[in-house]
Amino acid sequence: MRGRLLASWLLLGLVLIAVAVVAAPGSSYSNQDREQPLAGASMHHLAGTDTLGRDRLVRVAAAFLLSLAGAIAAAAVTTAAAAGVGTLSAFSPATLGRLGMLVCDVFLALPWLFMLMMVRSALPLTTSPAHSAAITFLVLAALGWPACARAVYRGALDLRNSEWMLQARAGGLRGKQIARHVLPNLVPLLMPQFLICIPAFIIAEANLGALGLGIGEPLPSWGGMLLELDNSSMLLQTSWVYLPIALLILILLLLEAIAVEV
Amino acid sequence: MRMRSRFVQSVSAVLAAAFAVTCAGQAAPRLPGELAWTIGYDPKTFDPAKVDDQESELVRYLTAGVLLRFNRSTQKVEPQLAESWSLSPDGKTLIFKLRAGLQFSDGSSLTAKDAAWSIRRVLLPATGAPVAEEFISASGVTVETPDERTVVVHLPKRVIGIGKVFDEIAIEPAEHPSEGRITAGPFVVADYRRSQFVRLRRNPHYQRRDSSGVALPYASGVRLDVLDNHEQEIRLFERGEYDLIDGLPPDYFGMLKQKTPAAVRDLGPSLNTEQMWFNQAPGAPLPAWEKGWFQSQVFRVAVSRAIHRADLARIAYEGHATPAYSFISPANGEWYDRDLSVPHEDVAAVKAALTGAGFHWNGSALEDAAGHPVKFSILTNAGNAARMKMATLIQEDLKSLGMQVTVVALDFPALIERLMHTQDYEACLLGLENVDPDPNAMMNVWLSSSPNHQWNPSEKMPATAWEAEIDRAMNLQASSLKDAERKQAVDRVQQIVADQQPFIYLVYPNALYAVSPRLQGVQPAVLEPGLVWNVESLRLDGAR
Amino acid sequence: MNSAVSLLKRLARTVLIVFLVVVGSTVLIRFAPGYLSDAREMDARYGDAARAELSAEAARSVSLRQMLSMEMSAWTNGSLGLSRQYDVPVLELVLPRLAVTGGLMLRAIVFAWSLALCASLLSSAGRNPSLLWQAPAALLLGVPTAAMATICLLAGSGGPVLVMTLLLAARDFKFLDRLLRMAWLDPHLLQARAQGLTTFRLVRAHILPSITPQLLALATLSIVTALSALVPVEVIFSVPGLGQLAWNAAMNRDLPVLLAVTMIMAIAVTFSGMASDRFGEWQRA
Repeated sequence: MRGRLLASWLLLGLVLIAVAVVAAPGSSYSNQDREQPLAGASMHHLAGTDTLGRDRLVRVAAAFLLSLAGAIAAAAVTTAAAAGVGTLSAFSPATLGRLGMLVCDVFLALPWLFMLMMVRSALPLTTSPAHSAAITFLVLAALGWPACARAVYRGALDLRNSEWMLQARAGGLRGKQIARHVLPNLVPLLMPQFLICIPAFIIAEANLGALGLGIGEPLPSWGGMLLELDNSSMLLQTSWVYLPIALLILILLLLEAIAVEV
Repeated sequence: MRMRSRFVQSVSAVLAAAFAVTCAGQAAPRLPGELAWTIGYDPKTFDPAKVDDQESELVRYLTAGVLLRFNRSTQKVEPQLAESWSLSPDGKTLIFKLRAGLQFSDGSSLTAKDAAWSIRRVLLPATGAPVAEEFISASGVTVETPDERTVVVHLPKRVIGIGKVFDEIAIEPAEHPSEGRITAGPFVVADYRRSQFVRLRRNPHYQRRDSSGVALPYASGVRLDVLDNHEQEIRLFERGEYDLIDGLPPDYFGMLKQKTPAAVRDLGPSLNTEQMWFNQAPGAPLPAWEKGWFQSQVFRVAVSRAIHRADLARIAYEGHATPAYSFISPANGEWYDRDLSVPHEDVAAVKAALTGAGFHWNGSALEDAAGHPVKFSILTNAGNAARMKMATLIQEDLKSLGMQVTVVALDFPALIERLMHTQDYEACLLGLENVDPDPNAMMNVWLSSSPNHQWNPSEKMPATAWEAEIDRAMNLQASSLKDAERKQAVDRVQQIVADQQPFIYLVYPNALYAVSPRLQGVQPAVLEPGLVWNVESLRLDGAR
Repeated sequence: MNSAVSLLKRLARTVLIVFLVVVGSTVLIRFAPGYLSDAREMDARYGDAARAELSAEAARSVSLRQMLSMEMSAWTNGSLGLSRQYDVPVLELVLPRLAVTGGLMLRAIVFAWSLALCASLLSSAGRNPSLLWQAPAALLLGVPTAAMATICLLAGSGGPVLVMTLLLAARDFKFLDRLLRMAWLDPHLLQARAQGLTTFRLVRAHILPSITPQLLALATLSIVTALSALVPVEVIFSVPGLGQLAWNAAMNRDLPVLLAVTMIMAIAVTFSGMASDRFGEWQRA
């Protein structure tokens, strides 16, 4: 319990620090200090600058707030959708359940890359970076649920056939009350999925940048900063490139600690 | 219990099979004396007459025996299989005299009959050879062989740079097109594994010898690995698996320079350009006021003058680029115009000009006379880090003018669809690769009727007076017999482009290469293929 | 008789799924931007040839029905169609790569399961989520595949199998950790431990059997994750497998190849789902 509380306070603290860094007067995530690209730490730039001379600390803080909010929201939606589909399929008559899983399997196998391209071509080119970010996370949420739905379906089926559930249903338990009993038991399946989705969506958003979606310049993208790690010349030039990944691991550990079941 | 142990047994059997399977199909180890480097993708064809992509062109360059070779270093046409050649004064008759004792790689003799057959095959419509278009009217071309060592080609219409066209026509055994397996060039196609490598081996009957009479090529073969990943390419280059890197990205240049300074070469500006342009097609699905901006010279020049090209070269290319104002790079000695007057950076003058054209500032945002905020998008292709950086730098530069720019990166097919089919874009930032220094090769870009006339493709009639003038000047240089007249025409085109800025040229990327210290004989050139244009003279240290 | 009927039902289900996937994929690929564009159009030398090829393709793909019937006939005559990029039968492209990819996935999944199972058994035995186990898992989940590949290349060791194993193990670990944590809290386990049963016997005889149904569902999840991790891993390490083929085909809008690869992936996902269902039923019987 103590660990949970500590982790929550730490997370809140980080969020507040990030807000302070971004909102501080004179700090800008898009200002390019062109005389000092890829500079090390200095008085003006506490964590150095990126390849275009923009302050790394402000960018990481802004990316943290933006991507974290987006990824958590999208992960929550996706996990809820998976839970909904899996549970509904398990508790419906067998044919509906099988139909649900059929839809799930078809969904998993389709090449969604092309649908994403169609989404991009339907959007006006001058969509602002913020709108583009919101749409990207929405799309990710809409596409992420089938992966987990089958595991949820299996778990829910087991629950449905377990002794206590049979007894409860025989005793007249219906609908919403069943949900109240089933969902908490599915949390061991849902929670890891939720926690895995967050970094997956952060990185997926950056990969969608190759299709024209994702967070547009000059807004900082956490996934984009993580992808910088794939360039060995960057890795060898400055060690501040590790700041985003260090922060991400810290956040994931904190979330894990908060979400622990005792 | 029994079922479980059987299960375990079957799993182990499958695992063993999987192990065996994954161990098979590895790339062959390097043969002694073999040169190795990478190509980005599989060559689409090995038939030299049907080459229509870059990697197939490379394989053709390395294997084909050609009558004339365009020397990439001196930029002059040299006889190769031909001992001598001549062009009649009206430019319509070519006479080639073949060397004596020429042989194909399988030992059979190469005579005028083979040369004539190969040329005719290229000209046949059924072959569909892209190089046939360079003859302008391929059907009217005739080829004769008065004797075993003479080939006479009659052209219905004079073609500028006809010598260079023969650099792309491979001479193959008559009636036996072999897709590169029987050639008269330094190497022969020996093995091809799709998505893995192309292996060439030495042609034992290659006719060229070095100054001391040793038969060329020195190398025993060439292995071209299909690899699209820069990280892996550089790792393997450092380990000695590859002998050269053709086209080193600027961010890896610095890294390699630190480790092996002798291995990297920066040859200065290449012939290629990076440019930005606005969509001026009247039929584009854009609001009328946006079309008004893009079609206005004042607007385009304003944007051009607000961009800090020095920053683009210094930051996006880490110094390995040169600011550009025209489509002829300083590396193109013959056609570069030193006296070109170009609009230079001057934000104050730009603001004055924009005010004069009816624009005004609403706070920090620029608006046109009707009150529409100046907002547009720059489209570029995903996967090119330097272009993304340039687009972001330009976005910031134009912000100082009050313009709101969005940067969108698309994958190439989607980008091409917008550029060439739907015209659904506002501004685009792309590069142009020039393989031929002669501006005549760029006719497709400058003629207003061409589908490659990017800012307004396939015009039925030139939309503006200056486009009509460009058409006139380009047609003049295509038909003129005097070099001075041609240069004057091309200078005129460059000046019009500098005044009107249909293409806003940004930088000339430098030609960056990496060469293994073990590789001898390399003379890097700016024209493609910059490192291996003299492949027959390349050899590895310690092999021989 | 019963088992034959159920086998037929499963087969019918697979065929239905594959059919729906093929129709869906054709629609998505055909109507996504860039189907009738080619980068060579920008090159003055090759533009005309490219445009001629594209108009031929446009004529071939005017209506969905026409495209689907062409695909069906291509499969019935065994070649699975002609690749748009390479002009060779798709089957010739796919078969050698199937072996490579299959081997890679099998090795990665087996190593990942072993690694995740051992790690989660050890970590769930402790009272609280120990940082020792969670941190590496968080690291592996947070680092993009491309970065992992670069680090492997920089270090000069490790390859596609290692990267995929680590990716899969991190995901599996998260699930297994929670499952096992819940399993340890079962009342009968507490009694068994009080009675002095060794941990090994506890694990083998009590914990593993109780979480087996979930483990099998996890199998499907693993295979799906492996399939999605396949493309970046193969592209970055240049493994000549199905993932690399699929990526090149997607970038070049090569419909016949994409359909073949999508079909294979659909069959893999469906079979894994069915296998986990079947195992579950067998276990309960």
